Amino acid sequence: MNIQEYIESGILEQYVLGTLTLREQTEVERLADAHTEIRQELDQITQALEGYALAHAAAPPAGMRERVLAGWQAAIQLEAPVAATPPVAEPGRVIAMPASEEPARTSGRALTWLMAAAVALLLISNFIFYRNWQNASQELTAMQSSRDELAANTRVVQERLTQRTNELAMFRDDAYHTVQLNGTPNAPGAKARVHFNPTTKAVYVEVRNLPKPPEGKQYQLWALDNGKPIDAGMLAEATMTGDSVQLMKSIASAQAFAMTVEPAGGSASPTLSSMAVLGNMN
Amino acid sequence: MPLTSTKLASITEEQLVHRLRIRDESAMTVFYDKYGTALYGVILRIVKKEEEAEDVLQEALVKIWHSFLSYDTSKGRLFTWVLNICRNLAIDKIRSRQHRVGTRTQPLEDSPAQWQAAPTAFRPEHIGLEEMTNKLNPEQKQVIDLLYFGGFTQSEVAEELNLPLGTVKTRARAAIKVLAKLIR
Repeated sequence: MNIQEYIESGILEQYVLGTLTLREQTEVERLADAHTEIRQELDQITQALEGYALAHAAAPPAGMRERVLAGWQAAIQLEAPVAATPPVAEPGRVIAMPASEEPARTSGRALTWLMAAAVALLLISNFIFYRNWQNASQELTAMQSSRDELAANTRVVQERLTQRTNELAMFRDDAYHTVQLNGTPNAPGAKARVHFNPTTKAVYVEVRNLPKPPEGKQYQLWALDNGKPIDAGMLAEATMTGDSVQLMKSIASAQAFAMTVEPAGGSASPTLSSMAVLGNMN
Repeated sequence: MPLTSTKLASITEEQLVHRLRIRDESAMTVFYDKYGTALYGVILRIVKKEEEAEDVLQEALVKIWHSFLSYDTSKGRLFTWVLNICRNLAIDKIRSRQHRVGTRTQPLEDSPAQWQAAPTAFRPEHIGLEEMTNKLNPEQKQVIDLLYFGGFTQSEVAEELNLPLGTVKTRARAAIKVLAKLIR
């Protein structure tokens, strides 16, 4: 073989430019290994073309380095789970400059990539939507329960307001007679008041101070009409502690009021020995 | 001073190849700092649009990363290997574009890289483009540019320029000799 002729054939330039087929490449490599002149020529062409490329180095736009490296990172991470391993040439048949088959492979790879990217994007966006939906749903439940709580509170407040309004109306009403009930020797220092409207028959009781009754016992209010005791109802816990003014049973006529300690639920007639407070109408 | 790609940055080509081969992701930053501007310049020379050049460069980095195991140090330098990957991707890009537009070729003369000064920070001692192209005669430059940036084969250049294939080969070799002399 005429080495000079081979060198001048232009095949070495094509080798460096990467335009040879695999078979032609292998042939060039074999000959370069065998002939120093060919190797030197090959090196010279390589250096010349690398130098020519370097001379074209261009000032990149601002921020390109970061964008390109970030893009690369995102691409290799995105692709990794889809295309598990990159295609690797067999060790024995390594292609130094894979160029001739590039265009077709590139479009195939680009499609795989696009699909991988699309699938990944879809998964990511679905995940984000799902999470957002879950969060929104949890927030809604929380808001509904706090709304219910507020409504319940409002009802309680409303009731108390109605009650207080009624109480206030009662205190301001001249038709009510106030009866001061004072402690008996059974409960010295005990104090309560009864507000009685003889026209409407309404009776309210208001406690200032009453000793706590024994377990299982309750205070019962009695109206005394001509000395005869009439049941006026049981005092609620809140009434007994002074927290509320309680509307009792209607009483047609009375001259005095008294409270006794009775078994829970009340008695038909008062246990006089347990009388705690007593007061007469003026 | 001889211009070799191994002098681009402090890390040697051998070390870089090793790190890329063991899939060290931080090596890609080193790779970029070593070759990024040069590769970008070549791609820009081919695709002529900065935005597109940046896309191609990123695509090339991914390709280099994925096909790195197919790079064989005994068969060529890293820079030549990556240059060919970048050139091929860039040429694919303009071919698909030209296919859409329907024109065969675009004039190679109005490249942004031709009037864009090479950044001095890149390599202070490297020979400028102007100096190189001044040493090449227009005929040599036309042939080498079609081969290198146009993705033409020698026969395609002959057809394009309406020249005998032998003339194309002679001009290409002459151009490479001039470049080699400048670099040595």
